Amino acid sequence: MTPPPPAETDAAPADAVVLRRVSKLYGEVAAVDDLTLTVRRGEFLSLLGPSGCGKTTTLRMIAGFEYPDTGDILVDGRSVLGVPPYKRQVNTVFQAYALFPHMSVAENVAYGLEQQRTPKSEIRGKVAEALEMVQMRSYANRRPTQLSGGQQQRVALARALVNRPSVLLLDEPLGALDRQLREEMQVELKLLQSRLGISFVFVTHDQGEALSMSDRIAIMREGKVEQLGDADTIYSSPASAYVAGFVGQQNFLEGRAGESGAVETELGPMRSSRPSETRPGERVRVAVRPEFVDLTADQPDGTSENTVKGTVIGVAHQGETRQFLVDAGDEHTLLVRRPTPRAPRLDVGDPAWCHWSPEDVHVFPHDGAHSAPPPTTVPDQPSS
Amino acid sequence: MPDLAPEAARPRLRAPRYALALPAGVWLVAFFVVPIGTIVWFSFGYKPGLFGTHANDVLSLDRYRETFSSTFFATFQNTLWVGVAGTLLCLLVGMPAAYWMAVKAPPNRRGLLVALVMVPYWTNFLVRTIGWQVILAPQGWLSSLLQTLHLTGEPLDILYTRTAVLIGVVYNYLPLMILPLFVAFDRVGEPLREASKDLGANRWRTFTRVTLPLARPGIIAGTVLVFIPLMGDYVTATVLGGARGNMVGQLVASQFQTAQNWALGSAMAVVLILVIAATVAVIAGLYWLASRPLQARHRLVLEDAP
Repeated sequence: MTPPPPAETDAAPADAVVLRRVSKLYGEVAAVDDLTLTVRRGEFLSLLGPSGCGKTTTLRMIAGFEYPDTGDILVDGRSVLGVPPYKRQVNTVFQAYALFPHMSVAENVAYGLEQQRTPKSEIRGKVAEALEMVQMRSYANRRPTQLSGGQQQRVALARALVNRPSVLLLDEPLGALDRQLREEMQVELKLLQSRLGISFVFVTHDQGEALSMSDRIAIMREGKVEQLGDADTIYSSPASAYVAGFVGQQNFLEGRAGESGAVETELGPMRSSRPSETRPGERVRVAVRPEFVDLTADQPDGTSENTVKGTVIGVAHQGETRQFLVDAGDEHTLLVRRPTPRAPRLDVGDPAWCHWSPEDVHVFPHDGAHSAPPPTTVPDQPSS
Repeated sequence: MPDLAPEAARPRLRAPRYALALPAGVWLVAFFVVPIGTIVWFSFGYKPGLFGTHANDVLSLDRYRETFSSTFFATFQNTLWVGVAGTLLCLLVGMPAAYWMAVKAPPNRRGLLVALVMVPYWTNFLVRTIGWQVILAPQGWLSSLLQTLHLTGEPLDILYTRTAVLIGVVYNYLPLMILPLFVAFDRVGEPLREASKDLGANRWRTFTRVTLPLARPGIIAGTVLVFIPLMGDYVTATVLGGARGNMVGQLVASQFQTAQNWALGSAMAVVLILVIAATVAVIAGLYWLASRPLQARHRLVLEDAP
């Protein structure tokens, strides 16, 4: 591999990776479909989406294991079309770690440096430093097979980062770890990334992972980026019903748009004070998050808008929050999440009123496409 | 008195764990250990008169002394040459083929390719070898073709030489090399090769540093699997070798069948076994010596870690 390219033009390129109208077809199916995406220097970008949305293919094209059918990919401002993986200033942490079983931990980490013809005297120090960074120094002379999954994960990270790549690609690296370890690694990964200032592209289908670590998140669907933004934007201003349903939880209601944010739904009149692209008369989908729904035993005063009467059919205590499942009739159930200290004292079978404010209501065009199914049971775990 | 818990009270009859290995063990003793022991025993005996095959009332090492005659020595050299050259050729031909099958060929075709490697085995070993006799004959079609194309001026003079035996053994033993190599290359797996390339190693370095070291057990298995039966091969040498392509296997067979001297034949067989074992040991030792500096070059031990 070559050292980082000197500034060819007036300044070093601001973007670590640029994908320009990239498509990749498998037979008739487009795994990646006219995708344009920029990874800024030093940012933590997550590609989030369900399996088959093209996120791993995108990652493999940046790494060089797949070539795009159309479009261009730039790393450090230079096109890498036709450049094999071993000549790219990019390193990957693989899903199953892919550590070399016939080499010790230290030899695994030294492998990339040896390929760059780093002098042996320097390799020793760099390997020790990289292992120090992931707290695996004391395992340097072990074989990867003698390590636990979490330890192998750290070695894979050190092996990639020791080469100081322009971009580090991570392909669902935390998927195989248990919950507690995964949460620890999330914090460590984020700390490591901000300390090193290396751009990370992190592929995941776990929204919690993406939300907790990323500077920006690209929500992918069928080979395209559905929305790109920071965690706050994605959560509070989802661009589509798909994004709204994929990140966090939503109560969806079907309806028809009226004038100035009014929507007539199956469960009565609703109103949104948020901007929406829908036109009056159009079929729409109304979304409100469980944490924004207020639950009371008595009918709220004032307006009848954004108010639904129902029966509590499930209560789940979850420590800091309490979840209620409310049957609103016509096979409609609403999920309500209240902070435990302010949760109403309602039990299964009690009548209850759900109410929410217009600024928490999102109205999306009804695209007929799949979205998260409505809750039918109270989930055991809050989905982060 | 009623027995309340008959199941728990009665100790259950259980076969010992090694029972699973018992059939194979009995088979091995009856058809391997006993015959080999018999051969070793016979080799210390002698041929009693014209019509006897062996006798062991007087034990001596004289048969071994007779074994090391100049004819036997020349044949042994020839056998060793064919054994080593044949194994190396199989490795040379089999390695790229197995690598291609395991790595480059489309995954859904791999089963078919393995089957194709095995197809020759569905035909009788002897028939296939005689087939080569037809091809390599001086009046055969290959000979005529080469002469028509003016690649040679005279009829092909390969049949009944060491070259013919070499062609025959490579053909006969190649599948035994390809299959273990295929399994070994296949088990290395795409993710490790991708990781190597990701870390900056080109194809050649990926092959020498990752694929080849991890496939080593398969390479050793294939080499041993080809070399050992090849050294004792008798059919190929008889059909294709003639007088100029003699191998020890034929010599042993002729002592047992023609000369009816079982004692001498047994001594030759024992020497063959020992030579094969010694050759394998020497080659393994040389390999170990040669690979040490290579391994040392990439060794990295951080002293302050346990």
